[in-house]
Formats: sequence, structure tokens, C-alpha cells
Amino acid sequence: MLFFRRYNQKPSSSRQLNNSLHQGLVSSELMDNIAEIQSIFCDTPDLIVRYLVIKQTQSQAALIYLNGITDSKTIFNHVLNPLLFEDSKDNSEADLKVSLGHIKETNTWPQIESAILNGECVLFVDKRTEAFIYDTSNFPKRPIEDTEIESSLNGPHVGFTETGNDNVALIRNHIHNRELKIKEMIVGERGKSKLFILYLADVVNPEVLKELENRIQKIDVDSIINAGVLAEYIEDHPYSPFPQLLLTERPDFASSEILQGRIVTVVDRSPNVIIGPVTFDSFFKTTDDYSSRWMVASFIRLMRYFGFFMAIFLPATYIAIISFHFEVIPLKLLLSLGASRERIPFPPYIEAFIMELTLEMLREAGIRLPTKIGQTVGIVGGIVIGQAAVDAGIVSNIMVIVVALTAVASFIIPNYEMGSAIRIIRFPMMILASLFGFVGLTVGLMILLGHFIALESLGTPYGSPIAPLRFPDWKDVFMRFPQWAINKRPLSTKAIQMIKANSNRPKGDKQ
Amino acid sequence: MGVGVLTLPRELAEQAGTDGWMVIIISWFLATMASLIIIQIMKKYPNGTILDLLTHYFGKWIGRVATIIFALYFALLANVIFIREALFIQAWILPRTEVYVLILLLSIPSYQIARKNINILGRYSEFVFFMTLWTIIIYLIPLKYAHWLHLFPVLKEGWLPILTTVKTSIFSFLGFEIAFFLYPFLQKKEKASMGVVIANTLSLLAFLMVTIGAFIFYSPDEITIYNEPTIEMLKVLEFKFIERLEIVFFSFYLFVISTTVLPFMFMTVFCTSQLVGKQDYSKHLACFLLIEFAVVVLFPPSFDENTHLQQVIEKAGIILAFAFPLCLWGYVWVHGLFKRRAIK
Repeated sequence: MLFFRRYNQKPSSSRQLNNSLHQGLVSSELMDNIAEIQSIFCDTPDLIVRYLVIKQTQSQAALIYLNGITDSKTIFNHVLNPLLFEDSKDNSEADLKVSLGHIKETNTWPQIESAILNGECVLFVDKRTEAFIYDTSNFPKRPIEDTEIESSLNGPHVGFTETGNDNVALIRNHIHNRELKIKEMIVGERGKSKLFILYLADVVNPEVLKELENRIQKIDVDSIINAGVLAEYIEDHPYSPFPQLLLTERPDFASSEILQGRIVTVVDRSPNVIIGPVTFDSFFKTTDDYSSRWMVASFIRLMRYFGFFMAIFLPATYIAIISFHFEVIPLKLLLSLGASRERIPFPPYIEAFIMELTLEMLREAGIRLPTKIGQTVGIVGGIVIGQAAVDAGIVSNIMVIVVALTAVASFIIPNYEMGSAIRIIRFPMMILASLFGFVGLTVGLMILLGHFIALESLGTPYGSPIAPLRFPDWKDVFMRFPQWAINKRPLSTKAIQMIKANSNRPKGDKQ
Repeated sequence: MGVGVLTLPRELAEQAGTDGWMVIIISWFLATMASLIIIQIMKKYPNGTILDLLTHYFGKWIGRVATIIFALYFALLANVIFIREALFIQAWILPRTEVYVLILLLSIPSYQIARKNINILGRYSEFVFFMTLWTIIIYLIPLKYAHWLHLFPVLKEGWLPILTTVKTSIFSFLGFEIAFFLYPFLQKKEKASMGVVIANTLSLLAFLMVTIGAFIFYSPDEITIYNEPTIEMLKVLEFKFIERLEIVFFSFYLFVISTTVLPFMFMTVFCTSQLVGKQDYSKHLACFLLIEFAVVVLFPPSFDENTHLQQVIEKAGIILAFAFPLCLWGYVWVHGLFKRRAIK
């Protein structure tokens, strides 16, 4: 029977956390406290308990911390050294001489437990019913480096790191204003991920802020590993291919969005921050747009939107024309098309699918492999396979051109998430085009449009300056107007303070 | 602005000759008057739709009957346009595809857009309006082959054929009676009258352009030969990089048609859901589309049948969109008069 019982123990279906133990208070006996600590942290080899005698009061004490996530230099120089060797004139019991900025006192066990887990060290003193908590945390971290995905030509070369506090500091570096408020929240029962919500209190719309906070508070999970996880929990339409919150690794971009009246959520341990509410056009902007000349920036932006449509509709249009409406293209082009398709045994949609899927696989392989091998894969896949496939008569020349053009077009979208969304949308479009030709394309565009105008980001319309139509915002959508012409925040942010600049410029053409 | 415009020039030419364009102006005048009257009526009861207003004045049962009548009317209108849309696609682009397959295909975006609320529909129409503006330029290109002489002599057969044709072109203007339902959703109600006049005028300009364009492009006898002279005209277009532009053009025109048919669909389910007392449109819309599909499968439609149905709906439209507002306006006015006297 015992045998059976053992295997009858099923995994519990409800989430249970071992939180309810150790609710008592700190005792005045040092050894009791140590025993309590050791029962909380059993099987924790990195727990250090250092017994000492405080010189100032000549009392027994113990310093407890976790090795590895604390800064040992700080502990030696600023905690142990003063306690062991310094003797001040006034012999008061109340304050111990420790040369640190951040000191807390507590007498409850849960607080002590979380302090130790946060990398702080805890001092128990004999005959005292409170413990002292010194902030000495120093989690392993990476120095601030250049951005990897969103590279920029003439913007700052600073990217967010995995440390939440550093990320907040990077944003503060751009906005020296006391209205920049930071709300701290903790999400995740086991991971205890720290979130910082950053916004300008006199600009941001309080309802949007409230909405964001409510959504974050409703999350109940073990841990938020990454900013992307949080974004998926709080976004408005999880069944949409479009990203509705913007993830960025650029502090300058995040700060400029805060200044526009948006809200930035920094997730501790994630090198990305979440910007919301965003609109569709936010995904087509880069900080370089603002640091290059406005005509150039406008041209590049227009090209991005053109690339967006091309990446979605080019293969589908090709399929539609070849299988249904070949009478649309002029005769000469038709002849060369026919010559190139002469040997191909497949209908165009199969041809297109073969090439598109190959390309997607190559792209993914290139990302996951180390950089050096990745390039080899690109060359082997792109050039060798493409050429060989044409020679072997599996795909036509024109198809290779179409697929390559589509790939290039999808890569000029600055936001990676949006680029991926486009790549996925392309496939249903190709199916529709292969079934219904141009009508299928139109219906596909209609579905896309219908979906697009119904989308929302944190309760504000996602397609904002385009649908619903708001012409004042168009100064910074398809074209980037000169800086002095954009003196209002976008309407889509619902900011309570709209004007962000004075429109008179110091020097102009006529002066 | 929808399917009507494709055949409008032919229908006008058949009945009123080349004076058909005057018919459009008369229809525009009537439509604008009627929509202004509608706005006047709705001002009396600004926070409800026409259904609430009728319930308010005549009691619950009349209100319900009116809801059913409106639902049927809008359903028929949506049905006529929807099927005609599919028939046009079959005739012009996909001759070997069955109509019910096309209906099924068109149902997907229709369901997606019309099930939410009036805001989404408004945004959609707005977007499509601006998206399709360029088609006007394309349309002006064939006019280099036009002969203005085709329009003369003016009034060669007198006023009578013009007046009798008005009821044909009225069909194209139908749709303003939706103002009955949209009024409570408006935020700036004082601009409502301005809005309907602008809307009607925009349609007028579009119709006039298309009709006069077709009249001067074809000779008076030739125009009646073609079923859809509006698209046929574009066949002469040919660029270096693209030929047979009318196929591309027509595919794009589906957007314009959808902005006509979707509001009617929405109104249908708005009425039916009001009848049931729920604010959930998606189920009703799904039912409507399924019924539509079943009807098309069971009774394969044809152009003749559709035209016949269109004539029925024209009559219903004249009653509901012209006579009904006029009578109601009279009643509300008299009612208000009596009420004021009673208070005194």
C-alpha cells in the first residue's frame, strides 16, 4: 500500500508558496535568532554568519549575509571595520557606528528574510529586539554597453542593462525634472521582480496611468523573467499580430517618449523597457530621425511605410498576377516572366511558399548561431541555395527577386517586433491571393484595416493619427516636420499638457 | 456611394437620355431636404435613436413594429448591395468562382468590422474615404477622349423623363436615413445639419462626375449597351507598367462598396439587438451573415433578380426615407404645439 501511496501523490494543481512560516518577532537572545535564521535558510551554503563583538558597546553580535550578491568590500570597510575597531566617545546604545547611507531597523522575520535575499546584510545584537539592515547589495551585472538591436548612427551609444536601478538612472540622466515620478511595484510571487513606472506627473494622463497600474497589479505569476513577458500580460489584444506596447533598449528613445507624455515601465533584470500607450507609427520612428536633417528623415520614413506595404503585399501581388490577372502586366514584361517560369513545375503559390519559408529559416538560423557561423549560413543559404534552386528549375528568377525584395523591405522596419508581425501577416495574404487574386488581396487588406482600427494600446486608439484621423499629429508621422514646427505632444497620448515647445525659432530663412 | 454608381450612368441614360445628370441634382436636393428634416425631428429627442423616439411618442408596440420594419428594410438594403457586390466581382474579376464562395469571403471582413460599435465603423469609413481619393484622378484620365457635345441639346425631351427617373437615382442617395440612428451618438450635435449637407454634397459631386464623365465619354446610344459604363470607361487606360487598369481599380473599389454595405449591416443588427434588448451585436451579425450565405446557396442570385429586388427596395426607401420623416415631422410639430397649449 505504501508503494501505491507514494505514486498517488500528484503534483498539486494549485500554487502554494511557503510564505506563512516564521511570523514571530526577533528575540532578544542572539543564539535564538541565529537558530531561526538557520532554519529559514537551510541548504543555503552561500549564507555567511559572522560572529563578532562590537567594540563600542562590548556586546555579542552576528552579521548575516548571502555571499555573492553582496559587495564584500563594502561589508569589510563600512560595516565590519567600524563595528570591530571604532570606539566613539558617547557610549549610547541606540546607534551603532556604520559608515553607510542606507540603514533600516526591523524586528519582523519576513522583512529580514527578504532583506537577506535582496543582498543586504543583517546585524543581530545580543539583548536587542531589533535587527539592523545595511544595504550592501551587489548583484552580478554587466557594464553599460552599446545597443545591439536598435543601433543608431549619430545617437548616443548607450543601451539599457539588466539592472533596474541603472536603467532608471539612465532615464533620469535625460530628464532632470522633479515631475519625473517613479512608482515602484513588485510583481511575481517567487521572482519578486521590481518594476519602475516612470512618467511626467504634470503631463501624463492620469486615467491611462491608472489603467496601466491596475493591469500590472492584477498579474499573479511566479516570476516576470523579461519585459516581453510583462508586455504580453498587460497588452490589450493578445490575439493580434501587432505589438501594442513598444519594447526598446535605448534610453534616449525611452526618455523622448516620456517627454511626449507616455509611460515607461522598467523591468528589473530585463535590458528592455516597455513604452505605452503607443500608436502604430511609433514603431516606424527611430531617434536618428530627429538627429538627421528633416528632409532626409522624412524620406526614410516614407520609405519605411512603403517597405511595410511591400513586405506584406509584394509576394501576394505576384501570386495574384501570375495565377489570375496576367493581363494586367504589359506584354513585354509578361513575356520575360513567362520565359523565366517556363521550366517551373509548380504553381506560383507553392514556389513562393518554398522560397519564403527558406528565407525565414535562414533568418532565424542566422540569429541563433554565433556571429561568425551566422554569416556563413547567410552566404550559403542566400546565394548558393538561391542560385542552385533557380538552376535546378524549382523556382523562377523573378520569384527569387520578389522574395529578396520582400526580405529587404521587412528589415527596414526599425522595430524588430513589428518586422516579425509583418512577416507573419504575409503568409495569409499569400494564401488569399492564391485563392481569389486581387479580390483576395483587397479582402485581406480590408481585414487588416478592420483589425487595425479596432486595436487599442492601454485604452487609447492604436492607429491614432491615421484612423481616427487627427491631422495635427501628422507633423510627425509619415513626414518629420522641422523641429520648431512640432511644438505639441501627440493627441494620441491624451496628455494633460499639450504644448511642449515654443514655436519661435531663433534663426530662420527670413531673418 | 456604392454599387449604384457603377450602373447609374446607364440607368439614367436609358430613361432620361443625356439629361440624366439633372436627375442627380434633383435627387440630391430631395435627399438633403429629407436629411435636414430627419435632423430636425431628432433634435426633439436628442439622446435616443428613432426607435426610442417612436416609443416615446406612440408607445411600446409601435416602437417595436418600427424596429422590425427598420430591421427588415436595412437587412434588405444590405442584402441587395452585398449580393450585387459579389455579382460584380464574379462578372468582372473572378468569372469562374461561385457567388456563395465570394459571399463567404466578403463576410469575413464584414463581420470583423461591423460587429463592434459605431466608432469603429466611422473610423473605417473615414480611412477608406481618404484612401480612395486618388481614384478620382485616375478617373479623369479617360476624359481626354471625351466630347462635350454629347450633352447637348439640353432638355431635348422635356422635363417629364427627368422627373420619372428621379426614383432610380434616389437609390444611390439612400443611406442618409441612418442619421435617425446616428444622431444620439454625435458629440457635436449642432454641426449635424452641416454634416449631412456636406455628406450629400460629396455624394452629389461624385455621382455628377461619374455620370457626366460617362455621358461625354460615350455617345448617347453607346452608353446603354454596357452594363457598367463606369468601369468600362477605364478599359482605355494603359500605362507603361500596368495594363487593364479596370481590374485593379475595381478590386480597390470594393473598399468603397464596403463602406456602404457595412453601415446597413450594422443598422440591421442594431435594430435586432434592440428588439431583443441586448447590446451584443456580434452574434446577430453572425446570424445575419449565415442567413445571407444560406439564401445565396439556396437561391443562386442573378443580376435580373437583384435588379428586381433593388426596385422593391427603392420604393421602400422612398417611403421610409422621404415620406416617413415628413409625416413624423408634421406629427411631432403638431404634438409640440398641443403640448405647449396644454401647459399654458
